[in-house]
Amino acid sequence: MMEPADAAPRARSGVVVEAKGLTRRFGPHLALDGLDLRIERGEAFGLLGANGAGKTTFIRLVTGFLLPSAGSVTVDGITAVADPSGVSARIGFVAETTRLYPELRVGTFLRFAGGARGLSGPELNARIDAGVARFHLESSLARPLGHLSKGFQQRVNLAQAFLHDPPLMIVDEPTGGLDPLQQEEVRAVLRELRGERTLILCTHDLGEARELTERVAVLFRGRRVAIGPTEEVLSGDDPLELFRGTGRSAA
Amino acid sequence: MPGLALCGFIALGFAAGAYYATGTFATFSKLNAVVGALALGVSAARAFGRVRGAGSPAFRGVLARGALSIALVLGAGVALERLADASQLQWDWSFERRFELSDGSRSRLAELCGRASATLYADEYDPRARSSRLLLRTMAATDCLPFTEQNLSDSAEAEDRFGIGSSNTVVIEVGDRFETVGRPTEGTLYEALSRLSLPDSHLLYVTRGAGEGNLSRSDGSGFSGLREALLTEGFRLRDLVAAAAEEIPEDADAVLLLAPERPLPATAVAALSAYLDRGGRLVIFLEPGADSGLEPLLSEWGITSPDELVIDPASGPVAGAAIGTGPLAFQYGSHPIAAGLDSGRMTFFPGVRTFKLHKPRPEDRMETIVYSSGRAWLSPDLDAVRRSRPPERPADAREDYFPLVVAARYPRGDIETRIVAFGDVQLASNQYLRALYNLDLVLNALHWAADRISPGTRPKVVAVSGRLQLPLPLQNTLTMFQGIGLLLPELLLVAGALFWARSRV
Amino acid sequence: MTALRALIRKELLVLFGAPMAYVALTLVVLVTALIFFDHLRIYNQTLFLFASSNMGGFESDTVPDYINLRDTVFFPVMETMGITLIGLIPLVTMRVFAEERARGTDELLMTTALTPGQIVFAKFAVTYLFVTIMMVASFVYPAMAIIEGGIGAQHLASVFVGLTLHSIALASIGLACSAYTSNQLVAAVAGWAVGFVLWDFSWITSFSFVGERTIGFLDAISLHLRYGSFAEGIVNLAHLVYFIALAALAAAIARFSFDWRRVAG
Repeated sequence: MMEPADAAPRARSGVVVEAKGLTRRFGPHLALDGLDLRIERGEAFGLLGANGAGKTTFIRLVTGFLLPSAGSVTVDGITAVADPSGVSARIGFVAETTRLYPELRVGTFLRFAGGARGLSGPELNARIDAGVARFHLESSLARPLGHLSKGFQQRVNLAQAFLHDPPLMIVDEPTGGLDPLQQEEVRAVLRELRGERTLILCTHDLGEARELTERVAVLFRGRRVAIGPTEEVLSGDDPLELFRGTGRSAA
Repeated sequence: MPGLALCGFIALGFAAGAYYATGTFATFSKLNAVVGALALGVSAARAFGRVRGAGSPAFRGVLARGALSIALVLGAGVALERLADASQLQWDWSFERRFELSDGSRSRLAELCGRASATLYADEYDPRARSSRLLLRTMAATDCLPFTEQNLSDSAEAEDRFGIGSSNTVVIEVGDRFETVGRPTEGTLYEALSRLSLPDSHLLYVTRGAGEGNLSRSDGSGFSGLREALLTEGFRLRDLVAAAAEEIPEDADAVLLLAPERPLPATAVAALSAYLDRGGRLVIFLEPGADSGLEPLLSEWGITSPDELVIDPASGPVAGAAIGTGPLAFQYGSHPIAAGLDSGRMTFFPGVRTFKLHKPRPEDRMETIVYSSGRAWLSPDLDAVRRSRPPERPADAREDYFPLVVAARYPRGDIETRIVAFGDVQLASNQYLRALYNLDLVLNALHWAADRISPGTRPKVVAVSGRLQLPLPLQNTLTMFQGIGLLLPELLLVAGALFWARSRV
Repeated sequence: MTALRALIRKELLVLFGAPMAYVALTLVVLVTALIFFDHLRIYNQTLFLFASSNMGGFESDTVPDYINLRDTVFFPVMETMGITLIGLIPLVTMRVFAEERARGTDELLMTTALTPGQIVFAKFAVTYLFVTIMMVASFVYPAMAIIEGGIGAQHLASVFVGLTLHSIALASIGLACSAYTSNQLVAAVAGWAVGFVLWDFSWITSFSFVGERTIGFLDAISLHLRYGSFAEGIVNLAHLVYFIALAALAAAIARFSFDWRRVAG
């Protein structure tokens, strides 16, 4: 694994995510096979791979939504098995598909999301106000989530993940299904995150990965087939060979 | 896997549903039960296999802790339930195991307080004795009727002495007198207590010979039930043949006329008139369409009764009659005859005429005892009561609260004449006397006419078990159902519609 | 506690903000009113008919033993509502957990400070509240009618307690079924099936190989027998504990679904 030669030193904040021999089976199907991975504090890390490569499974193991069949994954040294609330407090999760409550209004939903993370009173109000401002949700606070466009829903999704100011953001396919304008809006937000906190970005979009991440890992059928600085991993004649499981192997 | 589990649940549901629908666990149910159980079993086995295939100590630990929690909750639940069951702790909120004595029963007990005692003779395992025991305990709780229990097989002497024919017999003794009650219910005990507590009796003359109601007839249109009730209440009864009556005997405490179908002879009318002039007491039942010949006499005393039928649409169809032709009355005047009667205690008049009152003298007191509802009107068509279709109200027909029973007092110096008039005689017939509170109304009227104190509402006709069977006012129930009963779901649905519309905005 | 309060508030908003809740409420309230009124009307008419035609004194009991408020009104209402609720309650509970799984919002909940136990508690509590409101609304009219009649109010209270506990038990079963699937139809069908099977085990006597002890055990866990005593006006502590234990067991099973999900995927 090589750091880019011209990487500028900057302040790093956030958490360290470390996976050791991480394995997950679903019956006979091996979704992750002995994955070793370390994501540094404050790093913008990309996780690439085709559908079914194991990206979402890895995310779910980090958040504690699934248990590993073997191996471990820690967030700042703690596992979701031993300390689920500790892990939850450190994570802001933006899922692949907008997982919201269509019948709730935006303001009500944000209040719930903040409350569910232990926020209340003036602190909650302040965080909601900050989130609304950051993601430009002023005009839609009173509207039901089900009535919003996909782009707006994704902004709300991002806003809820930020409410408790988590040191780790996990963003899974954030621009899927959005139009180009909406994609740019979301990427603009993610650009701001770089350096603020640790970021794990799961994406199919190679351009997005180049733009938003410093290092990437490529998964194929549950195994890591490449890892390194983004430009290095994605340079070459056909980066898609990695997605197919061929091409250069991991360093 | 979910599909298989779903099919399993469907099969089980149909197995149970078919059983409940038919009451038998037949082949269809059995097959479905087997198929359902198999499908669920296979589905569960596959689910567990999936977990086992994943294999991890972390899995085992998590699942074991979860299963242990379920087992602990189950164990605690079973243990607590067993403890609660062993404690036998329960609260009896039923009313059917409590006997609420009627006012009449309480009156009779009070009259005999300190003098009477009761003994229940029953076989050891006679289940009927349980209800009798409960009833007697309730009566004993008034401190007026102590009771004991004797095993019938050990009471040969008592059997002979009291003429006990079977188990579950109650004997009430007052001094040397006794009454044997073979089928103890509150009603039969009330009768026995009445016979023991009312040595003094008032003499009631009952006219006959002009087609009046027959106290000896025991079919539905007869009045033998009224005779029994009067005897229970301590009246002595004597016939007064209308054709031969030239004067009403001096010893008459009251005269009872049960709707003569033919006009009384002039001599009888004159005899009654003289009787009333000297402070007599008359209870008269009229009937729509029947000319008793007494209307002019009643009119002299301020009571007129147009020969029209009171139609009260507020009464639902009762006893097969068209709506309104048999008024159910639940509004009463404030009068001793109506004592104990209120909106929850109705009376039924299967075809009734109304009254108009005008005081002959200012000091006279004339009152309505029973009113129809405010939606009643008068129909000149007296055959309406026999038709199945309800009569249509003419546009000019007046709706009002029509008197159905009236009572009047006429103070004349040292004497006082009293008249009670009923607009219907069928309510006192065998068919309807025991319906609702008809009996109480009729007996109260006779007690008042004879200047006696009524014991209060009498026991209703109850089953041996003593379960109370007081009716609920049908009209009020109907109004309530059409009010809050339907209004509340309507409001809920409107609320749902508003929320739906709001969510669409 | 903050997180739990936030979840309870959200559940209340989602439940009572949906038209379906009001449709379910209306159905139950209306069906109860109709059944109660129908039986009350029949009781009045039957009583009236039997109370007349008495030829003698009190010797002749013309009113049969079964013509009483308990057997003619309360029992039939409880029996009919007991079965009806088995069909209706799962329609209310089917979405509670299954919808979260179908939408993926369960994953959102699991990344908050909420524990699975808190999630189960909140959803069960809100559903119980809804079911209780449903029962209270259903009994407004019968209570007014019975109180007006001046008899049987306490007995009606026992019927209310029995029906409410029965509804809570069915809701618990429905919620436990909902926790194991993302498909609301599956949740509803499973709730129906379990409810109907648990209702009455008298069919088991058809099998000759089933012994007395087994029958006794199944009777002890049968909903019908436990619930029937409330129709008699008897509030029995053991029956109360049974219903509470059943609810607790269902909650534990629902809680286990989270562990199962983490393991099975």
